[in-house]
Amino acid sequence: MEHVDELIAGHALRALSSEDEERVVVHLAECERCRRRLRETEAVAASLAYSVPQMAPPPELRSRVLAIAEPVVAAPAAEAPAVEAPARPGRPRPRHGWWPRVSLVAVPAMALALGAMVVWNVSLRNDLDSSRDDFAHGAAVALPGVGNVVAQTDGNATLFAHLRRAPAGKTYEAWVIRGTVALPAGVFEGGGTVELELTQSAKPGDKIAVTVEPKGGSRKPTTTPIATSRSV
Amino acid sequence: MEHLSDHGLLALVGRGDREAFARLYDMYGGAAYSLALRIVRDRDLAADVVQNTFLAIWTQARTFDSSRGQPSTWILTMTHHKAVDMVRREERRRAEPLDDAPAALDPEPPVEHQAWLGVAREQIATALARLPDPHREVIELAYFAGYTQSELAERLAVPIGTVKSRTFAAMNALRDALAALGMRPEDEWNTSTS
Repeated sequence: MEHVDELIAGHALRALSSEDEERVVVHLAECERCRRRLRETEAVAASLAYSVPQMAPPPELRSRVLAIAEPVVAAPAAEAPAVEAPARPGRPRPRHGWWPRVSLVAVPAMALALGAMVVWNVSLRNDLDSSRDDFAHGAAVALPGVGNVVAQTDGNATLFAHLRRAPAGKTYEAWVIRGTVALPAGVFEGGGTVELELTQSAKPGDKIAVTVEPKGGSRKPTTTPIATSRSV
Repeated sequence: MEHLSDHGLLALVGRGDREAFARLYDMYGGAAYSLALRIVRDRDLAADVVQNTFLAIWTQARTFDSSRGQPSTWILTMTHHKAVDMVRREERRRAEPLDDAPAALDPEPPVEHQAWLGVAREQIATALARLPDPHREVIELAYFAGYTQSELAERLAVPIGTVKSRTFAAMNALRDALAALGMRPEDEWNTSTS
């Protein structure tokens, strides 16, 4: 087996091309020696974080971060604004229950992710065990913060999502992640519970992910998934 | 809570413990913000990066595999990746990333771990200073400025193969330089036990 030490160094610095990144990820999946090497290299890279001048974060950032973990009560999705103004230091931040604090986020994807947190928190309280489910054909697989996916043995899969409506000009897109390839599996707008039959079949070992994409969807993910299922 | 290791804290966060989450923020929020600020060069964007990072921590802590390394490495690696992604999206990368932080950003002493961070910063800066210039350059351009290896090849006017081998050599040299100072990052980046 040819190891990928050089690429691991670039991977730890997040500097690889997509082709090299794919090569590393594929190799790491099957090579314990290189995974160990990656752990060492990532730790060295992380040490660089301590070399920068230490700045005190703005005090309000602590409140924004801790709001992520606050117990929440789900508001009707239809009443929730798709995106609110970014949270910026010094900006008045009126509070009406939980929603403004949770929704005052900086980017639309963040707002959506935090909106998803509502569901995640509620589902965590109600169904912690099921949220730990691994991918299993015929069984519900948790998509933390989004909902569940049910994959049948014939590969047909249905996504049950509970998300706020996507912001103007945006849409949610489901993906079947097979190895390092993301296969587009359908778009939906959110706003209440959505049942979406995936346009891509899901095989054992696949993962399901959801991203926020420009209206109409994308051929490849352009944002970090707001949720990814586990696989076996 | 005070006596818990980072692994212990993260395990509690994975079970939805808000106090542990707050503790984790108090320990690493400053380092994460400082790193993000160094990369994105904008206070608001840096705060967004930190918020995104801690959202990921809150949602993913229960899947953290402790055999993969220190939680601090995980947290700072996520912060770095999100900051680099942000700087690429925002095209805010600066031409001279080797400079120190902008003078307008007044350093303030972190509330916690000030002494530890001070020592660590000094040692890591020393290790970086010991690297040959080409090694230090490739690390700083990639890590702090977010350049891809293809972009580095163009900027440095060298073949991409040279960038790859130089990056590999540079990271090994940094590891060795840290080791020469008695630092083993894989074991030591856990401020709660220092």
